[in-house]
Amino acid sequence: MSHLRIFIDDGVTVFNLVVLSYFFLGNGIYTALMLLSLRATWVHMRQMTYQGLDALRHSPLTPPVTIVIPAWNEQHVIVNSVRSALRADYPQLQVIVVDDGSTDMTLDRLVQSFGLVEFDGAYHPTVPTAPVRAHYINPTIPNLLVVSKERGGKPDALNAGINLCRSPYFCNLDADCLLEHDALLRLMDPVVNSTVETVVSGGIVRILNGCETKGGRVVRVGLPGAWLERFQVVEYLRSFLFGRTGWHLLGGTLIVSGAFAVFRRATVIEAGGFCHDTVTEDMDLIVQLHQWAADHNRKIRMSFTSDPVCWTECPSTLTMLANQRRRWQLGLCQTLWKHSEMLFGRKYGIVGWLSFPFHSYVEGLGAAVEFMGYLLIPLGIFLRMVPPGLLLVFILLGFIYGGFLSVGAVFLEELTYRRYPRFRELLTLLVFAMFENIGYRQLVLYFRFQGVLKFLAGSRRWEKVSHLGTPAEG
Amino acid sequence: MVNIADPLTQWAFRILVSVVMGTCLLIAVAFFRRWQQIRYVRYVHALRRKYRPILAKLLSGEQNPAGVEALRELTSADLEILLDPLFSKRKLPDRCLIFLQALCAELGLIELWQKRLANGHPAASLSSGHGGHQVSSDRPTTRHMLRAKSIRNLGMLRHRPSWPLLVSTLDGRHADLQLMALRSLAALSAPESFPVLWERLHAVVRGESTSLPLRALEVAIASFDLTCAPALFPALRHPDHQIRLHATEILRTMIFREAGRQPHFALKPELLTPQLVEMLLDELPADTSAEIRARSAEVMVFLADPRAPLVLRDLLLDHQWFVRLRTVRALARRQQAPAPLHLDIRECLRDSHWRVREAAIQTLISIGQEGKRQLYEHFLTSSDGTTRRQIVEVIERTGLMSDLVEDYGAGTTGVDALIVEQLASDGAPLGLSGVLRTLDPEIRRKFLDRYIPYAKSGKTPLPEGTRPEVERARDLQQALEFPPSMAA
Repeated sequence: MSHLRIFIDDGVTVFNLVVLSYFFLGNGIYTALMLLSLRATWVHMRQMTYQGLDALRHSPLTPPVTIVIPAWNEQHVIVNSVRSALRADYPQLQVIVVDDGSTDMTLDRLVQSFGLVEFDGAYHPTVPTAPVRAHYINPTIPNLLVVSKERGGKPDALNAGINLCRSPYFCNLDADCLLEHDALLRLMDPVVNSTVETVVSGGIVRILNGCETKGGRVVRVGLPGAWLERFQVVEYLRSFLFGRTGWHLLGGTLIVSGAFAVFRRATVIEAGGFCHDTVTEDMDLIVQLHQWAADHNRKIRMSFTSDPVCWTECPSTLTMLANQRRRWQLGLCQTLWKHSEMLFGRKYGIVGWLSFPFHSYVEGLGAAVEFMGYLLIPLGIFLRMVPPGLLLVFILLGFIYGGFLSVGAVFLEELTYRRYPRFRELLTLLVFAMFENIGYRQLVLYFRFQGVLKFLAGSRRWEKVSHLGTPAEG
Repeated sequence: MVNIADPLTQWAFRILVSVVMGTCLLIAVAFFRRWQQIRYVRYVHALRRKYRPILAKLLSGEQNPAGVEALRELTSADLEILLDPLFSKRKLPDRCLIFLQALCAELGLIELWQKRLANGHPAASLSSGHGGHQVSSDRPTTRHMLRAKSIRNLGMLRHRPSWPLLVSTLDGRHADLQLMALRSLAALSAPESFPVLWERLHAVVRGESTSLPLRALEVAIASFDLTCAPALFPALRHPDHQIRLHATEILRTMIFREAGRQPHFALKPELLTPQLVEMLLDELPADTSAEIRARSAEVMVFLADPRAPLVLRDLLLDHQWFVRLRTVRALARRQQAPAPLHLDIRECLRDSHWRVREAAIQTLISIGQEGKRQLYEHFLTSSDGTTRRQIVEVIERTGLMSDLVEDYGAGTTGVDALIVEQLASDGAPLGLSGVLRTLDPEIRRKFLDRYIPYAKSGKTPLPEGTRPEVERARDLQQALEFPPSMAA
């Protein structure tokens, strides 16, 4: 009996240390990222007031860009998305929509809305993909090309887009996203004005729910009405405004949203294109590019800027949210596992020594650690192994620190972009930021834990999040 | 329940209280900033509403001494707020710019901006203004931004006497100020600054300096007038192929810009030195770097010299496919490609690389009627199925199919008619179906009356709207073995 007791004692002590290290490492790094981002975003905002985008807009040397929109069963959102892409303010722009074997009206809606006709197009694949069935154009919209191919998944559709595009850079855009008119220029600014070859440039994804749109453009920014969506607004602000900005500043970018990012085409092809073996092809490609650059001794840069905006519809039901978060967590675990040789690899620098370990421990394993913490800590109290008072203070600290970070994200937003113009919206955002860690965080944690379990079970299934169309079309 | 005496708990409490205080501070600052912003926006709005009419009159050239006096009473900060929207625009009308420059000089703003650039050192000798604004009154937190805006404003005003100050800013510590100075120097295009910028680019290429992005330097140098091009001569002869490449790229961009301004632009040898012309004709097209050869083709198409077509012909036969590609594409840039080259472009339709063939098709179409005739003739005489499919693809993508169908319906003869009939006997291309759908019914009827006898097989059924015509022609179809799929 005493042996079992000792075993349990040791187990709980070890677990407590794991939880403590998770708490301090996670929050410590997040705080550092917040402070870094605060300064960088502030400086960037000020720079934009005098630099502007005209130099890029009117320069004869601004490289052409192709927007690649992969679509699978996106009949409700695809037309607006393509409209917003076609209206993007960029000097040389091509839009390619790859219909990945949709079984709904996606292709028909595109054909009807843009007056497309089928033509005898040739397909010259550089990266292998599923066969292309048909090409569609409208000669009066020469910068739009729609292709229909057999179902091969999102990475396959993106690879088809890479094969079809002729420009040195391409921007992948999810079919449920609306681009802000100057987003592409802002995204290309760090590419053009960089002293090092920039192969990836990512922008911020903001939540469309609650905004008013007209003809594929956001005309009034607002907060969604439902609590689930409001929490996601805060979460996205935290993730993009200081998470990704901070990692970019440290040179350890591991995630660039696949919903909206620019890539250098030749580099992506050299690195093998988008892979099919994970469910988050965007993160996989970024990690793959890091690995490829280190293996080939190439100096490359991955940029993240928080002012190019793309608006997307966030899940409005728990089922949709669960699907999305399970997939993200599963993809994260798959990608980290697939490239595990990068962990503490000397040649990978900051990525191998800081970013990769952080993502593996805090973002990957963290879901399991935190979830188990909620189960095992009460056990510790029950067995009188943890003083309940200290535990209470610790839990309170966890909630309040989480709130502090979320409030920090809203603060950063207020200091820089101030996209939510009404005073009431600021107040709402702050309230939701403070309470995000009570209830919502645990809910998301549960879905993430399910994602970890799916990874352990070897699942590779893509869980689709359906989109109902842009709200409040004016 | 909570043991306050426990040092660990005390420690945790301290962190907790600090975090709560930090959160409260962030919230308070966020509200304060919002309040401050609202006040600032109201102030700016009121200022602009009050002074905009005066400004509009002054910028339209109207004499308004009272207006100038009213503006003079404003602080430099208010004046800058008032004028900022004008400087944020890239292009102001030239007339407006002249008056704006005069106004800024009169209000002492040019002198103020120059002082800021000189970082407090006297620069008054460069200015004609007589304002007495103090640089030292700028707060340190805003000094950087004010310097950046000063650089931008001097560039926008094209205040050429400021170029030495801008050049000195290129040596500053801040990368973004350097970039702003570079852009302003490009806007001024003072020929005296050209060698300085070229020297910077040289240093970046050699790896001696990394402060300025190469592309920004290229863009800035290419903004200079074409009369500065002869200064590139030594660079075009440089032993380092990277230097030669950038010089060629800059020359190409300068020429493209001029060509964009003038529809029938030709690079007359008088614009360049004889040495440079000889180099363009003899050395660049034979450069060891394929990238340079490719760019030289893009320069060559605009060169008004009888030897240029011969050089272009050689480049169309270059062993590197992308040199051939860029040469063919470059030929599409000139509205009239040199006539002797039409057959050479047509020869590119037999190229081994599909992208060269595709570019040749596009170029022939862009050349005009003669180019199209060459293209159609090739289509009618070639037995190469791949190229024929490529031709059909480009015809469909460029909307040429619609013209062909309309002309055919209107009774055109010759090669334009033959190609439609050939398309029919090859099997109706997919694009034809789409064109017929949007065609005027009368033309469509005439088209089908002529077209059906030639149609042996079809890839896709003709559209709904064409069904009656097809039905009326059913007897004819049967007689000519017209496939049922066409009428289905």
